[in-house]
Amino acid sequence: MSITSVTSSELGDSMNTSFEEKSVWIQLISLVVGLGGYLVVAGFMLSNGVSLLPPFVPVFALAIVLIVAVNVAGHVVASIFSRPDEADERDRLIDWRAESRSSWILAVGVIGAIIALILSVGGVWVAHLLLISLFGSEVAKNVLQIVYYSRGI
Amino acid sequence: MAQSGTSIRNQIRTLRFHHGEMTQQQLADQVGVTRQTVNAIEGGKYSPSLEVAFRIAHVFGKPLEEVFQFVAASG
Repeated sequence: MSITSVTSSELGDSMNTSFEEKSVWIQLISLVVGLGGYLVVAGFMLSNGVSLLPPFVPVFALAIVLIVAVNVAGHVVASIFSRPDEADERDRLIDWRAESRSSWILAVGVIGAIIALILSVGGVWVAHLLLISLFGSEVAKNVLQIVYYSRGI
Repeated sequence: MAQSGTSIRNQIRTLRFHHGEMTQQQLADQVGVTRQTVNAIEGGKYSPSLEVAFRIAHVFGKPLEEVFQFVAASG
């Protein structure tokens, strides 16, 4: 066996993703399905003139249940197919760097919400501005993590 | 060898071969990181912390500079 054969035998293996990387994919999918789905429904409700928060509560509760369910099911399946290793220094660095480069989206949303409150914009719009910025921030973080895992950091 | 991601080169692949064809998983278990991290270090996609670099060198019984080399950017 040569060095080349060791390398080539592990090249296929290197295509595997770590449990942490799978976890990021699961979080991204659960967010897009749950919160993304909620925002689509909420968009339709807002365009149909729903201007009070209570009608949005059951839809939001359903979205949270969906996020938790997809996360739990996804992690159970991931742990069956791969060894659930603990996060190591590379995982923590990727998590930190992705968060530091995506958190500004949430900050912009918070500042926008404060400005909206000063301008007496309705609470339903302020709440959804905050939700959209939270969604954008989390999705951006997950996407950046996936990029860092595949391209290196 | 694709090591363009960082300015740190390494001999881990060769050293694994000369240590009884040690697998990435075996090295990862001894160092305390995931196999994917060993793979990323070998491929130049991740520069390990000083502690992990020392741990890797310790596994192979080599001084750090025989395992990792800094390549200064030209120009």
